[in-house]
Amino acid sequence: MSSLFHHRWRQRTSLLALGALAGDEAAAAQAHAEGCPACAEDLARLRQTLELAALDPVRRAEPPLGMPALLARVNARVDALARNESAHRPLQTPRVMRAAWLVPAGALAAGLAAFFMFRPASTPTAPTTPVIVAERRVAVPEEMLGRMERSVAREQTARYLDDAQDLLLTVTAPRPCARQTRRVDVGQEAERSRDLLARRAMLVGSGGEDVASVRPVLRDVEYVLREVASLPSCARERDLQAIQREVSRRNLLMKIDLMTRELKG
Amino acid sequence: MGRLARGDREALAPLMERHHRRLYRLALSYLRDPDDALDAVQEVFVKAYQNAARWDGGSEVGPWLTRIAVNHSIDRYRRGRRRLAAEAPLDEEAGDHDPRLSADAPSPERRLLGREVGERIASALRGLPERQREVFVLRHYDEMTLEDIARTLELSLGTVKSSLHRAVHRMRERLEGLR
Repeated sequence: MSSLFHHRWRQRTSLLALGALAGDEAAAAQAHAEGCPACAEDLARLRQTLELAALDPVRRAEPPLGMPALLARVNARVDALARNESAHRPLQTPRVMRAAWLVPAGALAAGLAAFFMFRPASTPTAPTTPVIVAERRVAVPEEMLGRMERSVAREQTARYLDDAQDLLLTVTAPRPCARQTRRVDVGQEAERSRDLLARRAMLVGSGGEDVASVRPVLRDVEYVLREVASLPSCARERDLQAIQREVSRRNLLMKIDLMTRELKG
Repeated sequence: MGRLARGDREALAPLMERHHRRLYRLALSYLRDPDDALDAVQEVFVKAYQNAARWDGGSEVGPWLTRIAVNHSIDRYRRGRRRLAAEAPLDEEAGDHDPRLSADAPSPERRLLGREVGERIASALRGLPERQREVFVLRHYDEMTLEDIARTLELSLGTVKSSLHRAVHRMRERLEGLR
């Protein structure tokens, strides 16, 4: 048997092990393996490997967010990008695209850039990569812009967590619904939760790496906000109590406290 | 998809409902972090919406979305790797492996083994050349046919077969000893 011929069978054996052959091709590869000890051994070892690889939890993993929340994130991101485009921001620069919400940082950057441009010419300057900021054709050291982005990301995340905590506290003391027993009025809270979820989508799209340590708490907060957002304006008491238990079980209020303190430095 | 191309935002929901799980698993197989994978899926659908007008109406949506997901995951993985290389020693690159499991998840013992296997597979996958990794991921995690893989990655069927063959042998070498 020539080595080229055998190589073709080895390839088919691999594909057979992967379950990627069907019909006559699979039957032929199986028949060959039965008459070729080396191929049979190859097939057995590959199958063992693939059985093991099938245990990878990723193959059964479910997204940590349900469809409605994911859809809300996508919509918020599309809206943000559309707003950006209408403001004539240069979307082709990834850093600027990520920083769609960085209007205050942009203004600050422009101010700093002006400082760099108009300071005395004799001042020695470090070699830096120039970055064009917004519509002002001014150069800002990239490292400085990066620091500002991170700082704003932390501030925005802290504000979001503050607001979420405020909402969760409100939810613990709901008003009863008029003329309905065992029902509580959470219309405003549900509305605020939806707003917060939209803000959360913006946080994810930008600066995510800079607030990595907060992610587990952000995830927990998002889970609870989704629960609140899904309540009707006149919700059953027991539904709200279930949410309160979840907040308590996850020690969410305390965690938010710790994380906002960390973010605020 | 035609509705999406006409700017109908409502068309996003059924498209996402149909594809978001498998795209999440694809992204997770590259990124190994649930939040990163979710961000990647989010960006895939944002890109799909933005580029819907450019979609060729005669082609299938699934492979097109898959292509976007694979490209985006590779980009994101590279960015993450550069960051890790700057911040952490290489042996910590595997990171914390914590994908969410579905309700039919196996027993705790199998999950423990699965976690170890997951980490080893992540490491083995990282060692594959890019094309081999792409075809292996699409076959192993998305169970795509060879023809669909070829269409999605715009490769010949022969290239898909030989890449898959090499990938699975490399994976075997790297996973040997894990029994």
